[in-house]
Amino acid sequence: MIHLLNISNLKKSYSEKQVLKGVNLNVKKGEILGFVGANGAGKTTTLNIITGMLDYESGVVEINGLNQTAGLDYKKQYFFIPDTVNVFKNVSGLDWIHFLMNLYEIEENNKLEEYVQVFQMQESIDKPIGTYSYGMLHKMSLIAAFTINPPIIIMDEPLNGLDPNAVVVFKDLIKSYVDQGGTVIFSTHLLDIAEKICTTVAILKGGKIILHDEIKNITGSKSLESIFMEA
Amino acid sequence: MKQFAILTKKETLQFIRELKIVWLPLAFIFLGITQPVVTYYLPYILEAFGGGQGIIIDSSMKDIAGNEILASTLESQFDQLGVIIIVISMMGVVQSDKANGMLGFILTRPVKVESYISSKIFSNYMFVAGSVALGYVVSYIYTNFLFTSIPFTSLIVALLFYLLWVLFVVSFTTMVSTFFNSQGVIALISIAVLLGIRMIVGLNPLLDRLNPASMSEYAKEALVFADIDMSVVWSVLITLLLSAIVMNFAKMWIANKKYNID
Repeated sequence: MIHLLNISNLKKSYSEKQVLKGVNLNVKKGEILGFVGANGAGKTTTLNIITGMLDYESGVVEINGLNQTAGLDYKKQYFFIPDTVNVFKNVSGLDWIHFLMNLYEIEENNKLEEYVQVFQMQESIDKPIGTYSYGMLHKMSLIAAFTINPPIIIMDEPLNGLDPNAVVVFKDLIKSYVDQGGTVIFSTHLLDIAEKICTTVAILKGGKIILHDEIKNITGSKSLESIFMEA
Repeated sequence: MKQFAILTKKETLQFIRELKIVWLPLAFIFLGITQPVVTYYLPYILEAFGGGQGIIIDSSMKDIAGNEILASTLESQFDQLGVIIIVISMMGVVQSDKANGMLGFILTRPVKVESYISSKIFSNYMFVAGSVALGYVVSYIYTNFLFTSIPFTSLIVALLFYLLWVLFVVSFTTMVSTFFNSQGVIALISIAVLLGIRMIVGLNPLLDRLNPASMSEYAKEALVFADIDMSVVWSVLITLLLSAIVMNFAKMWIANKKYNID
């Protein structure tokens, strides 16, 4: 089986402290992987390494068989949504999405309009980003990600700040995106929601993945929350 | 190349939205007007305010040649307040992108570090050079009107030399903005170094060859003497080389992910 994302024996330290002590993680095409761990477990560090924002000491990180030496070809394999989206406050959401579409060399298409409607952003997408709430900023990033439609979408705590309606929309869209051949990884600490959305869960603890399996095999009679607490 | 064009467009849009496109040219127009107007009207102004008791006014002030006035616009206005204004307008050029996470955001897109840095320097340089040239032309018009005319060739040659100095100022400030996280530190270091290297021009001929601030001195000489030694070609090449080196330092710093939390 060829994995879309392949991470082997990934190690990373900050000064003296080793945060990642040999992380192994494989993600297949069509998976929705919930990346779960306590604060400071190294979830964001792992995601930042995958996206090339951070260096690492040793290990392998590949998407679609490409590593970071592939440059732009590697970067076109994913769309990353960080936990904080601090974009230009005086630019409209639509201008910002068009800017990102240009960077990914995506032509204008009717998907954008479709997703603007799905996320109920019709009235605000033309307004300056500075007027957006935290949840609206996330919605804007999700609209950009779905419109650009890369092989894999990587999100750091995407559920933060989303209202209950947006969480439902998020869940439906993620599932429809995956049905169309997409793959999603997101970090979260909202275990109950992760349990409902994800097909696979990986728990990061002590700098290693201690549990990585399909959600149906993990949970059974127990909730993800109780499994996480026992791990 | 496409990424470079997209990022340059974004920068330009940002200049418009921040109204930088209005205030920076206005600042240089003001600096350009100041020297000829103040030099011409100073005797009248002092006389109007009590006859300038205790102050001896050189009666030949109004007889100063136009080229000398324009040269002092470069030396007294642009090289001092002008450089400070450029640095202040640019101190956040990369630093603010680092501070608000924009740099990380952009570089996790299909964008090369080279495209990011070159678009920053290109857009800022075109804009700053345009503002400086506008202030210079306005100064030329006032100087021609109030004093004597200046040969067109000297005017253009001097401007080209001066814009090479501006290229180094823009590149250097961008590099410092890449290295440091505090705008105050960036401004302090950039202003101290740039004014410092401008002050030492003329102290040592060999040092002058290596000093990008000599371009400003050559600009002045082109206006005053209308004659430039061909050996300045080496200084021009060194200035271009130094500008390329500082741009490369900025690129390497970002490429090595020194901007991050690492």
